[in-house]
Amino acid sequence: MNANEHDRRLEEVAAFALGALDAAQIDDFREHLKGCKRCQDELRWFAPAVRALPEAVEQQTPPPALKVRLMEEVRADVAAEAKLAEAEKRRERASSRKGFREWLGGLDIGGLTWKPLAGMAAVVLIVAAGVGYVVGNGGGSNIHTTEVQQKNGIVAMVVDEDGQGELRLTGVDQPANGKVLEAWVARGESVEPVKATFTPDEAGNASTHIEDLHGVDAVLVTEEPAGGTKVPTMEPFVNVPLEGT
Amino acid sequence: MTPVRREKAERLADEELMPWIAKKDPEAFEVFYDRHGGAGYSLAYRILGDRTAAEDCIQEAFISIWKSGARFDRTRGSVRSWTLSIVRNRAIDALRSKAGKAPKLTFDDDAILESRAAAEHTEAEVLSAETADEVRGAISQLPGEQSKVIELAYFGGFSQSEIAGMLNVPLGTVKGRMRLGLEKIRGELAEGMA
Repeated sequence: MNANEHDRRLEEVAAFALGALDAAQIDDFREHLKGCKRCQDELRWFAPAVRALPEAVEQQTPPPALKVRLMEEVRADVAAEAKLAEAEKRRERASSRKGFREWLGGLDIGGLTWKPLAGMAAVVLIVAAGVGYVVGNGGGSNIHTTEVQQKNGIVAMVVDEDGQGELRLTGVDQPANGKVLEAWVARGESVEPVKATFTPDEAGNASTHIEDLHGVDAVLVTEEPAGGTKVPTMEPFVNVPLEGT
Repeated sequence: MTPVRREKAERLADEELMPWIAKKDPEAFEVFYDRHGGAGYSLAYRILGDRTAAEDCIQEAFISIWKSGARFDRTRGSVRSWTLSIVRNRAIDALRSKAGKAPKLTFDDDAILESRAAAEHTEAEVLSAETADEVRGAISQLPGEQSKVIELAYFGGFSQSEIAGMLNVPLGTVKGRMRLGLEKIRGELAEGMA
């Protein structure tokens, strides 16, 4: 580029800074700017002056109603997003419950067994989203911990201490009115309820004692009517497969 | 992310508020509006010359910020100048749309204008807060023909060719007046810093 051409460009920096270049010239000037340090420096020198222009206008007080309208729209947006998220959560739960009801079609309630499955491995495939893993082994005392992240976001941990256990859940929603949480232990095809029902605290944490973990393939949790039931009435929303108990 | 409380939000710097706004925190947004809504409204009113139009402009501009707060890039400038450039672009677009002209403004120009390290912005921010009167004075002391082209360009959204046509002067004259006018304002700012 010759000196005259460069000077011509330099004359356009102020117009560019003010947003006053003609539309047809803008792309061309931007391209030039990328490789021209002198024009870049000139633009940087002008920048504070351009930034000062809006600050220099006579200050007006916006009407309070403007803020009210704006915040109403903002809060409505937040509420709409929360509603969408909740609807999505419900859809996921409904979808997982539907699958369980179909599966319950062949349930043998009298014998407290779930026959149609080829072992609890199938339960794991249907319910558990995370990969269970042994978190720790308590050295001298025989403590075994298994934690599984569920598809619904709940984190479930089973602590096995010499065959006695505790199930700990985090991220659990409050059960529906008149409902409680009920834990189940699965051994082969047999599923038995854990004695005590339980409910989550305000922070979504819940735990229950499991008297006997010997031979248990998986610990399950369902939502049941207060007092608990003898057989689960819904698909477990928590499934912790155990190994070697 | 747990919602930020109003008192805590008030203690945050603008740049620290933006991540909360990006996470859709209404308290953070309210504080942001309290800080910049007045300057934005004043600018919109200066450009549009009508209170209802200025209110519509601010509503649109701030909602666009609410919905795109994550787009703020602190390496490109201060929150305030970013906000005012959004308000200005909205207002000019509204002006041009009212006049039946296709909007020509883009955010890229502001990005180039702001393209320097964040630390360098301190000067401009201190200036904008403390010497607005001086800048007003500097603009008012510009020769009429220089302040006119700057006002038509910045507050009217007119291109240099359009201004040349409106004022019936050669294009080179408009370029020269813009340059001289900006240089004087810049010089005044530099003096204020000394």
